[in-house]
Amino acid sequence: MNIQIIGMDFVCSVKAWFRSKGGMFWSLAFPVILILLFGAIFSGVGSTKYTLYVQDKDTTTMSQQFISILLKTGVLDIKNLSADVNITAYIKENNIKSAIVLPKGMSDQINRSFIDPTAKVNLSFYFDPSDQTQTQVIRTIIASVIEQLNKELTSRRDVIGLTDISTITENFNFIDFFLPGMIGFTIMQGAIYGSIERNTKYRKDGILRKLLTTPITRTEWILAKMLFMMFLAAITTILITVIGVLVFGMTVNINLLVIITLIATSFLFSGMGMLIGRFVKEEETADTAAGAISFPMMFLAGTFFPLEQMPGFLQTIAHILPLYYVNEALRNAMIYMNQSDALLNAVVVIAFAVVFFLAGVILTKWKED
Amino acid sequence: MIEQRFKCPQCGNIASFYGNPGEQMTVICTSCGLKGRLTMPMLSQGNGYAIEVSHLKKVYGDLIAVNDISFAVKTGEVFAFLGPNGAGKTTTVEMIESIRQPTAGSITLLGKDIKNGFNDVKERIGILPQEFHSFERLTVKETLVYFSKLYKKRANVDDIIDALDLTAQQNMLYKNLSGGLKQRVGVAISLVNDPEVIFLDEPTTGLDPEARREVWGVIASLRKKGKTVFLTTHYMEEAEFLADHIAVIFKGKIIAEGSLEDLIRQYGKSSVLHIKNCKNSTEVVSMLQQEGFEDVTTEGNGDIAIKIEHKDRVLEILSHLRHECIEYDSIDIRRSNLEEVFLRLTGSKLTEEAA
Repeated sequence: MNIQIIGMDFVCSVKAWFRSKGGMFWSLAFPVILILLFGAIFSGVGSTKYTLYVQDKDTTTMSQQFISILLKTGVLDIKNLSADVNITAYIKENNIKSAIVLPKGMSDQINRSFIDPTAKVNLSFYFDPSDQTQTQVIRTIIASVIEQLNKELTSRRDVIGLTDISTITENFNFIDFFLPGMIGFTIMQGAIYGSIERNTKYRKDGILRKLLTTPITRTEWILAKMLFMMFLAAITTILITVIGVLVFGMTVNINLLVIITLIATSFLFSGMGMLIGRFVKEEETADTAAGAISFPMMFLAGTFFPLEQMPGFLQTIAHILPLYYVNEALRNAMIYMNQSDALLNAVVVIAFAVVFFLAGVILTKWKED
Repeated sequence: MIEQRFKCPQCGNIASFYGNPGEQMTVICTSCGLKGRLTMPMLSQGNGYAIEVSHLKKVYGDLIAVNDISFAVKTGEVFAFLGPNGAGKTTTVEMIESIRQPTAGSITLLGKDIKNGFNDVKERIGILPQEFHSFERLTVKETLVYFSKLYKKRANVDDIIDALDLTAQQNMLYKNLSGGLKQRVGVAISLVNDPEVIFLDEPTTGLDPEARREVWGVIASLRKKGKTVFLTTHYMEEAEFLADHIAVIFKGKIIAEGSLEDLIRQYGKSSVLHIKNCKNSTEVVSMLQQEGFEDVTTEGNGDIAIKIEHKDRVLEILSHLRHECIEYDSIDIRRSNLEEVFLRLTGSKLTEEAA
C-alpha cells in the first residue's frame, strides 16, 4: 500500500471536483436549496388557525359550552379527543403542540362555587415550549376565555384556573426531521453516482485499463476514492448543519456516532454504485438505473416525510431499505439525542455497508473478459 | 540508446555512459582518466526480443477472436500490428498488457512470463489504450504528474511536455483539448515512466490527417530514442510510414509478416506500369505476354497493369506500344503498396473492411 499514491489521487479528485460546476451544484447547492425551500414551506409561517386538542372528561353542557366559546374565537381549530385517551402518551405519539383537558367534575365545581367560596377547578394546558409563538397565542386565547367566564360566573373570583403542563417530548419541527434526511440523501447520491462514473465512464474511456497496467493497485485506488467520498460527506454535513443552525435556529448534535454513520453510508452507497455499474454497463443507462433505485428509496425510507404518514405495507418496505436506517440513525443521533436508538440503527447501516461494499469490490474488476 | 552507470575501479568515481544495447565501447573515466572496455547491457534478458508471443489464442463462446498466433518484437523496433477492425488487434495487445486473460498460449514481455510476472514489468512499459480519454478536469500537466507519480521510475514531466510539443497547452483542462491533442497527451502519459516498451493501440483513429501526422512524428521520435513500440492500426499508410516490422492480422490469424519491403516483394508487385484506356487491350495483353512479361492483368475499361521486374523493361514496353501504334490515354509507374498486399492476401480492401 502506497499512502503517497492514495493522497495524490485524493488531491486530484478534489481539484477536479472543484472545477466541476455540475458536481458542486448537485452535492452542495441542491441540498441547500431544498433545505431552505422545504424549511420555508413547512415551518407554518402565515397560518392563521391554531390547532388545539381538547379532551372533555366532564362531558356536561357546561363543558360543551366552554368548548363552543373557544370555537367562537375563530382562531382555534378544535380537535376533540375522547375521554379515555391517555393524554400524555397521545401528545408524545402525535407530536401535538397544545392540548387542553377539561377535568371530570368541572361543572360540579362551578355550580358549587355559588355556595362554596373555596370551590375551584383547574384546567390543564399541555404545551410544547419549543414552539413558543404558537403555544403562546393559544394560551392567551384560553386565558382570556377563562377570565371572561370567571367574571361572568362569580364576579372576579377565580373559580376556573389554568395549570400549565410543559410537554418536553420528541416534539420537533419538520426541519428537524428533514435535515438529517437531507444529509443522508445527499451523501447517498454523491456516492452512488460517483461510483457509477468510475465503473462505467472510466471503463469506456480506458482509464481502468490504463491503471491496470500501472503500479497502482485496485485497493489503493478504491481507498483514495473512498477518502474523497468522506471529504464530500464532511462538506455536505457541515454545510447543511450550518444552514440548519443559522437559518432555522436548530440544535444539531454531531458526535462520533454521527461520523461513523456517515462513513458507513459512504461505503454502503459506493458499493451499491459499483454493483449498478457492474450490471448496467452504459453510463447513461446506469445513471437512469441509479435514479430508479435511489429516488423511490428516498421517499420510501422516510427522508422527507415521516413513515407514520404512509400506509402500513409501505412502512414494511421501508424497513428493508438501507437509507431508512441511515435516516433513523442520523435523526436519533443528531436531533432526538436518543443515542441508544442511533447506535442500533448505525449497526444496521454498518452491516449493510459491509455487505454492499464487499460485494461491489468483489464483483467488479478492472480486467476485461 | 540506453544509459549504464559504471564505477571506476581505480578512483571509485561513478559516471553514466550511453550506448546501444549490447554495444561494446571504450570508455574513459571522467575523473582519473582510466581507460576501459564496457559492454552495454542487453534489454529483455539479452535475446534481443522485447515481446515474444507463442500460440496465443482467445475464444469468446463460439467466436475465435485470436487464433493461435505467434510472433516476436525485436528490442528497439516499431512493430505494427495491421488489420481491419475486429481482426483481433486489440484483443491481442490487451492480452500482452495483461488486461485480458488468454485462452491458451504464452506471452513473454521483457523476458518475463506475464502470467505471474506482469507486476514486475509494469514499471518498464507504457500503454495507450484504444479510445483513451483521460480525466476531464485535470490539466495536461496535472494529468502527466498524476500518472508519473504512480511509478517509482519517473521521467521528467516538463521534458515530455517539451518533446511532445504540449508546452502551450500544458495548463489547459484535458476536456478542452482537440482530438489530436488528446491523443498526443495519451502518448505523453504512456511515457511518464520512461518505459522501454510502449504500446499504442490505434493512436490515430478518428484524427484528421494533420493531427495524424503529428502523432506519427511523435512515434518516429520514440523509435529514434531506442524505444520498442508496439503499434496497432488499420491504416496502411501508418504502418508503411512508421513500422520496421509489420504483422498483418486478419480474422484472428497473422496472414503475413515482415518488413514493408519483404511484404511487397513477397505479396505485391515490386513496380507496376499502368496503361490507361488502351485500345485493343486484349491484343496488347497477349502481345506483352509473348514478350515475356509474366504478370499482365487487365483491369477493365482497357486499363492494363504490368508488373515490372527491372526498369529497363519499361522502355521495352514503350517501344512495343509505339511500334504497334497502340492508342492509349496515359502511362504511369507506381510502386506497389501495402494496400495491394492486403488486397492480394485477403481478397478485400483494408479500408473497406475498416469502414
